[in-house]
Order: sequence, then C-alpha cells, then structure tokens
Amino acid sequence: MSGTNGALRQFTRRSALTALGAGIVGVTAASWPRLTGADIPGRGDNSLSIAIMGTAADAAARQKVIDAFAKVHPEIKVKVQAIQAVDWKDFFTKILTMVAAGTPPDVVYVATEGAQLFAEKLAHPLDEYLRRDAADMKEYFQDVHPSLVEAFMYKGSLFQLPIDWNAANMYYNTASLAAAGLERPADNWTHTDFRSTLAAMKKAKPADFTPYYWTNRLFGGVVPWLYANDTSFLKETKSAGGEWLWDGFYANDPTRSLRSGGYQWLEPNADDPRVFESFDYLRGLVKDGLGVRPEEGGGGALIGLFASNRIGTTPAGGYWVQGLHEAGMTENDFDVQFFPKWRTQRHQFGTAGYAIMKTAKDKDAAWEWVKFSSSLEAMQIVFPTPNTTPARRSMVNQELYAGTGPRNWKVFYDTLDRFPTSGPIPAPPQQAAVETALMKNVSLAVSGDERQLKDALSSMQRDLELALRRQP
Amino acid sequence: MSTATSTPTGTGREPGRKVAHKHSQPSKRGRVQQRWLPWAFLAPTIVGMGIFTLLPIVASIALAFFRWDIISAPTFVGFDNFAEVVQDPTVRVSFLNTIVFVVVAVSLQLGLALGLAIMVQEKLPAWLRVFFRSAFFFPLILSAASVSIFMRYLFNEQFGVVNWMLSLIGIPAVPWLTTPGGSAAVVILVYVWQNFGFSFLLFIGGLASIPVETYEAASIDGATGWRKHVYVTLPLLSPTTLVASVMAIINALQVFDQPYVLTRGGPGDSTRTAVMVIFESAFQRLEFGQASAIGVILTLIIMAITAAQFRLSKRFVFYQ
Repeated sequence: MSGTNGALRQFTRRSALTALGAGIVGVTAASWPRLTGADIPGRGDNSLSIAIMGTAADAAARQKVIDAFAKVHPEIKVKVQAIQAVDWKDFFTKILTMVAAGTPPDVVYVATEGAQLFAEKLAHPLDEYLRRDAADMKEYFQDVHPSLVEAFMYKGSLFQLPIDWNAANMYYNTASLAAAGLERPADNWTHTDFRSTLAAMKKAKPADFTPYYWTNRLFGGVVPWLYANDTSFLKETKSAGGEWLWDGFYANDPTRSLRSGGYQWLEPNADDPRVFESFDYLRGLVKDGLGVRPEEGGGGALIGLFASNRIGTTPAGGYWVQGLHEAGMTENDFDVQFFPKWRTQRHQFGTAGYAIMKTAKDKDAAWEWVKFSSSLEAMQIVFPTPNTTPARRSMVNQELYAGTGPRNWKVFYDTLDRFPTSGPIPAPPQQAAVETALMKNVSLAVSGDERQLKDALSSMQRDLELALRRQP
Repeated sequence: MSTATSTPTGTGREPGRKVAHKHSQPSKRGRVQQRWLPWAFLAPTIVGMGIFTLLPIVASIALAFFRWDIISAPTFVGFDNFAEVVQDPTVRVSFLNTIVFVVVAVSLQLGLALGLAIMVQEKLPAWLRVFFRSAFFFPLILSAASVSIFMRYLFNEQFGVVNWMLSLIGIPAVPWLTTPGGSAAVVILVYVWQNFGFSFLLFIGGLASIPVETYEAASIDGATGWRKHVYVTLPLLSPTTLVASVMAIINALQVFDQPYVLTRGGPGDSTRTAVMVIFESAFQRLEFGQASAIGVILTLIIMAITAAQFRLSKRFVFYQ
C-alpha cells in the first residue's frame, strides 16, 4: 500500500514538474514575439514603421489611408504603431526610449513641441526630396500657410510637412455671453475688453461658474498672452537660410519677406517687463475671481465643463469642435473668436506632421509616405470630422463644420491669414526642460501678491538658463 | 550528532539501521546533486536579479560619470554630474521636499495603521475584522496613477467634489492643487490613504502574535486601557514597527506617481520629489548622467537611513 502511495506520489510529482516545465516552455514560446518585441509593427520585416501618438483604435483608423497608399505604392508595406501618451512630451520620451533600445520607427508624427528636438538629433531633412519632387509638391504649398511651414524649418532645412495645426483662439459660451447682455466680441477686441466680458459674465452667473478657465501648459496657457503683448518667455530669433524653399514655393506670397530658416530660442526672457505685465494681468484675473489658478495638465477635461455651461471662455484650437459636439453642444451653443489684442494680435499656434528618422531603413519609401500623407486625398481620409484643423486651407470649409459649428469657423484659418506673424509654440530642442521651467513657475506667479510674482519670474529666468545652458 | 556523521557501535545492527546509514552516505551522483541542485533552483532568480537588478545598478553608477543623451555617444565627465547636481537648486529643494514628505507621510501612515489595527483587532467582531482588513488594503492594489488622476478631479478648486462638500457647511473653496501648502497636503493625503493598508496588515499580524497571557498578566498588575498599550502592546510590537517603518521610509523616499500625476511637482517646486527630478533629468532633459548621479545620491541616502534605523533599533526593539 505504501509502495503504491509512494509510486503515486513520485509519479504525481514528476508529472507535475514535467507539466510545469512544459508549461514554462510553452508559455515562453507563445510569448516569444512579445518578449523579443517582434510583434511590434514593422519589426523584423521591411515594412515602413510609422509611430503616431494615440491608441490602437487611432492606428486602426489610419488603415484607410494605408489602403489608399497601397494603391499608389503597392511595393511599400506600411505599419502604423500607435503609442499612447499623456501629452507630446510623454510621447517623445517613449520614442527616445525606442531609439535607445535600438528599435526606432522609420517615421514619427511629431508636433511643434518636438520639431526642433527631432530636427537637431533624430530627423532627416526633406530638402532633397522637395527639390526633386518640386512639381508634385507645388499644389500642397499653395494650399498651406507659410507660417505653418516655417514652424518646421530648422537652420535652413525643412524637416516636416504640416498636416494639421491649431491656434490658441478664444472659445466662448454663447449662453453665458447672452446672459451677460453682450454681443459677439469684435474681431479686434482687446485684453481690457476681454476682462470686461469676464466681469459681465461673472455678474450674470455668479454661482458655480468660471468666466475664464485656462490650463498651465506650453500651448494655450500663458504663452498666447505673452505673444499678444509682443513678448515671450524665451527670446525669439530666426536663423538664416531657407531661401531655396521660400523662393521655390512661396515666391509670390505677400508674407515672403517674413520667412526665415527657422525659429531659434536660445536665451531666456522671463525678466522682460512685458512678461511681468502679462503675468500681472493674469494675476489680476485670478485675484478678482474672473479666472482660475491654472492647474497643470491637458484641457481635455474641460470639454465636459464647458459643455455644461460652467465655463465662460477658454483658449483652445479647432481640435475642440468635435469634442464639444460629442458632448452635446450645438453650433448655437458655442463660438470662437480671435485671441484678444494687446500690443499685437499675434497668436500662438502648434502644428504637426511626419518626420523621417535618420535611422529609417528606406528613406525614399518614407518620403513617399510623407508626400502621400500631405495630399488632399489622404488628408480628406484622415480628417472627416473637425477634431483638429487641417493644414490645407481648402479643407477648412463649411462642409467640415456643418452640423457641429462653430458658426464662425473661418476664425481658425483666418488666424494665420489675418495675423501672418503668428508664431509657433516656443519649443527649442530642450523643449521638455523649458516646458517644465515654465509650468512650475506659472501657478506661483499668478496666485499671490506682486512680490510672489517677481520671485516666480526670477525663478523662471534661472530655470530657463539652466534648461538652455547647453546649446546644440 | 547527525545521522550522516554518527559511527554505529555495537554488534547487532538492524537491517533497517543499515539502510538508514546507507541513505545517510549519498552516492557520488547524490553528492553532486546535493551540491548543485540548490544552485539550479536558484539560478533563474540569480540570473534575473543579475540582469534586471544588479546590472542596472552597476550601469547606473557608471553612467553617473558620463554625459549621455541616449542619442549621442557617452562622454566621460568625471564628477561633473555630481557637482552640477549638488549646485542645482531644484535638486536641493526636491531632496528637502522628499525628507519632509517622508517624515510627515510615514508618521501619519504608521500612526494611522497602528491606531486602526488596535481598534480593529480589539473592538470589532471577527467577521467585521475581515471586512476592514480588505477595505484598508484595497487602495494598495489600485494603480497609483489612476488614483491620482481620480483625485485630481476630486480636489479641483472650482468643480471638485471635496470643495462642493465643504461648501455645504459654508467653507469657501480651497485651492488644493494650486497652492504650495494645499498641493503638498493633497499629495501626502493621497499617498497615506493608498499606502497605510500595508502597514495596517503588518500591525494586525504583530498584534495577533502577542500572547493573551501577557495582557492578562498586565491586567493583574493593574494595567488597563491606554497603559496596557503603552507598556505591553508597543514594546511587543516593536519588531513589527521596525519592519513597517523601514519599508514605509524606503517606499516614501521613492515617491513619484502621486506628486507627478497630481501636481507635476508644482506649484513651483513645492511637491517636486527626488525621484521626479531623476525622471525629469533623464527623460525630459535627456541628461542621463545627471539622473544617474541623483539616483546614486538617493540610494546612498536610503542606505544610510536604513542602516541608522537598524542601528537605533537595538535600543528600542524588544524581542520576546
């Protein structure tokens, strides 16, 4: 009996160990593609690997473009990899870790925030391809404002073609405006008009209502106010060069003389008296209960609050339209106007497009993708709804905004056409450090007394010096 | 004397005894097995630890002496990274914040855990104890990032539930996340809420191991209520307290998720912690050498504090 039990125990233990071993081998074999990263789109084959910020659903949504591309270039296999990230900074961090791991994508969808980081360290210039395919590209540049293109110039070379963009315009809740007894603001309303508007809104709806809501970040935070006041927290200069592009594609553009080899932000400017003035204006709004102390983070959460009539105004781009529509707002419930004027009415904008990586396996194929993605056909597939502003002027039309609003959708592209000196998000190659330096001091600057404001700006100046101390 | 080393004496050995002796002298194969089998079982762990723990530690220490931005080749800079880090006011503030955070958060965490453990263990019926053990441990299994995102909404000055509830009793809106004091308080509150459950379970275990007879003896000697806990519970719980405090302090020194998601270190540097500056140096400034230098300094601080705790424990830890 004991022998039988012993044999049974031995048999069971051996069986269990064998099963366990087999299980480990099986699981390892099954997981091998994941363990080695071979399941990452484009890895291990000759596919063109394209990284975008978004979810798997976003990647799937691009399939229609991939299919359209395949008809034109059946020889180029494309795989889109969506990388989820909180913001662009987070996305770039993830791309950099892929670079460090030796598995960079071939093409990356990069916004202004990372344009110079990529241009300086990671991306391949498009100059040679644009010169080669100038005849094909002429139609694209005729349809795209040069300000957007200039934002992707770096030291005389172009690194990306703008696909979509957004300016910091001012959204307002039409019901709140009407309750305050006000008409639509004038196109050239000023920062004092804006303050009066907020005061009237607050008086009309005192409870559970915020006249001006803004978030603490590089786009749409304090920067549009600085731009309107003809200053910035970084000294803005421009590099020489780029004539090959401007003379080739924008020779007859009325703003040709404004164009350069790209923006440069080499020194901090937080000690500029106009920076103090702009911050002091915002501090006044906060102090008088017209605006909130800005929290750090994106503005996505605001859509629900705005749609439920708890926010009067907020700066945002065309990307908000679809969100407001989905949140239940009709085209009569909200509208948009230019950012208020101060010394200038220069706006802040951000744009995005594909960058070809220096390490791309097949740069020619990558260029074909970039070129196709900038075509009217591809852009119409990608932007069926107004969840951003297409870079092509011809696409920003009544058809795109039908049924969603806003009524004055023309404001979006007019921002560039009427204010051609509007500038991109100040984003040098050290953008992440610069953004941190800005964000960490904004809340303090606008939340206390004048002394605290001065201290916060001094701190910002010091932090920016540190951030910019190593120039490429 | 072990069976293996005993020398049989006498003449009449029993067969069974012989077998036992034979088994106590393993064959060559058996000796090899005895010698190498433990290593074979340990090998996966040792290899894993080597690759995923030891190697990164060594690489990180080495990297502290280089300037490296991931993309370009590393450049040897000696102690420059350490010099820059020490001079960086943001780094200094972040370390100071971390120390203050550890002192406040760990005190609250251990105090809350101990108080609740005593209450649950002594005052509640058995079936309710199970509920509270689970309830208090539950926050720990949640993702710190998810909790922090949720808390951001709760503590929003204009639209948060917390301020709404305060408004019901006439308290005006508190700028929780946009003032230095408010944001630090929220970060500590969220951290303590999420982490005290672990210390609570340790204390529950420790309390359960204290013999009832000791309390009975204390009662006979006249100790009741508060005095019973001061003179019996706390001394006998001191080994548990040591373990709980060591783990709590090490965890708190590495706090990242809550301040990063809730406040991004702000406003100003008021909630910026040491691990946050490591992250920012490495993945935002692309200064991996500096990040490693900060990491090395933080590691040395953790080791020093832990060593001090164990050294001091000789004075206050009472083993039965």
